[in-house]
Amino acid sequence: MFKKLIEESTAKSPWLFHINSGSCNGCDIELVAILTPRYDVERLGFKLAGSPRQADIVVVTGPITKQSLPRVLRSISQVPEPRCIVTMGSCPQSGNVFKGSYSVAGPLSKYVHVDVDIAGCAPKPEAIIDGLALATQILKEKRGQM
Amino acid sequence: MTSILLNALQYLGYILIFPGFLFCFVCGMLLCGIDRKLVARMQKRVGPPILQPFYDFFKLCGKETIIPDAASRTTFLAAPLVGLAALVVIQLFVPIHGFSAFYGMADVIVILYLLLIPALASILGAAASGSPYAGIGLSREMVTIISCELPLVLILLAIAKTVGNALGTGLCFSLSAIADYQLVHGSLITKARMIPAAIAMLLVIPGETGNHPFDAAEAETEICEGMLAEYSGGPLAVFKLSHAVKMLTLTSLFVALFLGGVGTGITAVDGVVVFILCVIVTAVSISFVHAVTARLKIEQIFKYYWTVVSGLALVSLVLAWYGL
Amino acid sequence: MDFPFVREAVVKLFSKPSTQLYPAVPSEAAPGYRGKIVFHPETCINCGMCERVCAGGAISTTVEKTEEGDKITRTFDLGSCTFCNTCADFCSRHSIELTRDYHMIGVEEGDLLVSGTFIKAPPKRPAPKPAPTPKPVEEKKADTPAPAPEN
Repeated sequence: MFKKLIEESTAKSPWLFHINSGSCNGCDIELVAILTPRYDVERLGFKLAGSPRQADIVVVTGPITKQSLPRVLRSISQVPEPRCIVTMGSCPQSGNVFKGSYSVAGPLSKYVHVDVDIAGCAPKPEAIIDGLALATQILKEKRGQM
Repeated sequence: MTSILLNALQYLGYILIFPGFLFCFVCGMLLCGIDRKLVARMQKRVGPPILQPFYDFFKLCGKETIIPDAASRTTFLAAPLVGLAALVVIQLFVPIHGFSAFYGMADVIVILYLLLIPALASILGAAASGSPYAGIGLSREMVTIISCELPLVLILLAIAKTVGNALGTGLCFSLSAIADYQLVHGSLITKARMIPAAIAMLLVIPGETGNHPFDAAEAETEICEGMLAEYSGGPLAVFKLSHAVKMLTLTSLFVALFLGGVGTGITAVDGVVVFILCVIVTAVSISFVHAVTARLKIEQIFKYYWTVVSGLALVSLVLAWYGL
Repeated sequence: MDFPFVREAVVKLFSKPSTQLYPAVPSEAAPGYRGKIVFHPETCINCGMCERVCAGGAISTTVEKTEEGDKITRTFDLGSCTFCNTCADFCSRHSIELTRDYHMIGVEEGDLLVSGTFIKAPPKRPAPKPAPTPKPVEEKKADTPAPAPEN
């Protein structure tokens, strides 16, 4: 009886945790732009959580630099199940212009399983809302299977 | 024999349903949701639906609970429950326009002590989690508690002296007597000398609940969520619930102490009337202050409470003491 | 201590919020927005300039030899693209276009790839022209014969 209630609530209240692994901050600015009054994702239940232990969806920006790689992996491992990992922008997906650099440790999909990619450089806030809505549906399915 | 059984059932009903768990759960979460919606509207955006805290609670119940290695397990898991239990007990003692679940059993000083327990529970939980961020959060929470205690004591003394003067005894600390006095003579807020105390209490409420701008203890972006840094899943759900119930408890305490004369005689209608008054108090003291201020530093919180708010309460106390 | 937003907070509480309700109300990007790439393979001549100037290294080409010519597949990886428009600027045949579509969400492996295939055949050799027939030598008998030498 409670199972359905918990599943419905998981889709209506996903909390985000944002990790910046060396990005140029363009994607970070667009991510906090969706919390402003113009796009206001709080009406869909999203909220920025301060600690990875309180988050459901992890949003990663930036090409994963060699220095930030162990820290990113450690933060992601602290997120409790069910969780969803979303890469934002083209940097964590392939490195974009930083491919092959001496300090870039490659796409995030080499290290963890990425659920949703939002492409764009930087993606438009509406595209971010689309990607996060899709991540919420994936989160609900994961909760249903737990 | 049967009367003892009926009595026990009645008290069980009070504890579990009416001013007890179910009432606290539903009304506290509704207050929290209304607060978030009002803050959003004041910031010119749509805001979450009013039932959002319920969704948050059930979502957190479905998450995995991770207990860090450096944490002491029992305290970590038991601290939130102790805090919630203390808050429900306070709500049982607060009169709702003449209806009081445990008549004549508790007075204002007991409420003062019980209000300390949820804050101590979160401090213990933070200390048990073994994280340095939680350490910073708990030291800030200790300073916040100390700074809110002084104005609260002065306000309660002012009320006790006013009612005591009117009833002929010296200081009247009993909540039931204060409620009865207001039923006969009208709400305490209608007396001009109580208005500074009412304003001071409205300013103490966001500090006690730990709402913005006095939330340096649980500052999100600064110290990774502060005291609740290592909490996840079920215990976190209970902490968020106790935050919401604390809002209900403090606003209903304000309504009982200052607005006690408003209401009909029927308990069911009074419950609704008191809830509506709690919503109005939340809108004025929690949401409005949230929307127009920035977060204060911990030294600023301490200085603010011990000068401005205590000064207002002291004015009321002096006026009440000399019977003016 | 002053509170500059008190009046605004109260006024905005009773006025309409300025939120664009995005998923319910669709929204279009501004004109000139550089969004998803659309490739027109029928006009491409495979000069390779776009691949050369791409900032993010997002363009790749595979060639397969068939009997009609070369079957060329050009793939644009949107997960590596920085949407700078340089490829479209350099394309002399205007076969690359950055549209106003910004919905680029990928879940599976190949969701963010845009590709087009075309066949580049060498131009056909024209049919060999028939060898020119030699002009018939005109008979000298038609002319007056050379006068007999006088003895």
